[in-house]
Amino acid sequence: MTELSLRLAVSFVQILAEVSIVMLTVAIMTLAERKVLGWMQDRMGPMEVGPYGILQPLADGVKLFFKEDIVPAGANKAMFALAPMLTMVVSLIGFAVIPFGPNVTLDINGLLIKPFVIADINIGILYILAIASIGAYGIILGGWSSNSKYSLLGGLRSAAQVISYELNVGLAIVGVLLLSGSLSLVEITEAQAGGFWHWFIWGARPDGFFPIHTQVFAFVVFLISGVAETNRIPFDLPEAESELVAGFFTEYSGMKFAFFVSAEYASMVLVSCVAASLFLGGWNAPYPGTIFEYIGLEELAWIEHIMWFAGKVYFFLFVFIWLRATLPRLRYDQLMRFGWKVLLPIALANIIITAITVYFFPRG
Amino acid sequence: MTFKAWIKTVTFYELIVGMKATMSHLLHYKPITLQYPHEKRTLPDNYRGMLSLLRYDDGTEKCVGCDLCEAACPSRVIRVVSAEVPGEPTKRYAKEYYMDMTRCLFCGLCVDACPVDALGMTREYEWSVYDKRQLHLNKEQLLAIGDRSFPVREKQLELQHPNVAFFNVAFKHLPQKPD
Repeated sequence: MTELSLRLAVSFVQILAEVSIVMLTVAIMTLAERKVLGWMQDRMGPMEVGPYGILQPLADGVKLFFKEDIVPAGANKAMFALAPMLTMVVSLIGFAVIPFGPNVTLDINGLLIKPFVIADINIGILYILAIASIGAYGIILGGWSSNSKYSLLGGLRSAAQVISYELNVGLAIVGVLLLSGSLSLVEITEAQAGGFWHWFIWGARPDGFFPIHTQVFAFVVFLISGVAETNRIPFDLPEAESELVAGFFTEYSGMKFAFFVSAEYASMVLVSCVAASLFLGGWNAPYPGTIFEYIGLEELAWIEHIMWFAGKVYFFLFVFIWLRATLPRLRYDQLMRFGWKVLLPIALANIIITAITVYFFPRG
Repeated sequence: MTFKAWIKTVTFYELIVGMKATMSHLLHYKPITLQYPHEKRTLPDNYRGMLSLLRYDDGTEKCVGCDLCEAACPSRVIRVVSAEVPGEPTKRYAKEYYMDMTRCLFCGLCVDACPVDALGMTREYEWSVYDKRQLHLNKEQLLAIGDRSFPVREKQLELQHPNVAFFNVAFKHLPQKPD
């Protein structure tokens, strides 16, 4: 009984910490997106709230909290309320299997705890794929229950888009799974330890340097499909402003709208975390070991690992913003053609080539 | 598709060019926007802002109630009610003068049409209000705008007969009236 309650308490603390970190990142991203987008377009971005507008996320939150919550006439009220919750929950629980830091195990009164991953389950990446697909239900439900044609069209587009690009994400990951021999994100990350040439984007064998198992094509496919899955520009057809007002959340206001928007940013963070873990070595530094280890502070090495992980995640988040500042939206047929006729063959060819190279040059 | 074009396609060459452009704007960040309520642009010399009615330096209204501005206005902003000056049968003035600024497009045709230069365009542009009715201006309000925007007033011409409305101020080359 006490062991169970202790375990529950530890998990609860971990979940609380993780959710607050993710929501903080989301808040930072809402500001960073507007600022960086402004700078790239020779504007200033928000400047009014606080010095240089740094309190803008707070002001946005307060504003959205006090907004009137409008349910359109003829909407399915239960579904209308359920959709934002579903999207939000789904984009947050994906973080449960992400390893933020090194795979250490603490022993508290005989209770083994991994402080940097909430649940080290052996199907980690499958779990993320499954959860990310459920997120599409939130969008489709929101689009359908709003009783508005723009919302419905946005929801339908989102369904088609998620189906097309989910497939590419799944196939791009297979190469990584062949190399690591595991579905657990913790083990995938550990398999890439010891310098950037062991990251799966470079793909050297554990004893070599030559990129024989390189996953760079899978990385590009994963990144593009990740952008498409999170409904970001240039694949933001479900919420295309110039065509569908705001797409699936046209009819939403107040906190429900805030839920949809923060869910979008949270899933961006999730995709960045997964991309960093799968291809860029997760919390591993691009050099063997850590600097803290060299100077004799081994018990502080986890700080460096977490810094590297955060750096990689924020790099991907910056790329998301950068793409948004640069690219126009794809047309619908271009989106479908690109997904099925370009990315899918590349992902399939990558699986075949990786399988052949792993068969002839096994990884130790 | 030539080989070069194929290479450009598979390496996302055009995409990289675009991303380089946005990145260079980020690195050489120099905003071209102004923080509007705190900083304001310098207006051009011929800026056409809020309309106003003007007076001569002795305080009399320039307007002679001829209705030409009303005829010139393409948006039907102006409504003039012309009347005789009491006791001076040959002289007219605008008894009432209304401008519905919600419709005005600031083309300046009324200013061009005015034969006595009684209308002026000020450099005011911050005229947003919460109630549209506040933009339906009467003569006193328009004169007040003119008073605060044009503190230096034109002299009433000496040659003008006190009972006759004087037109064509600019036509000084024409034969002048005898004393």
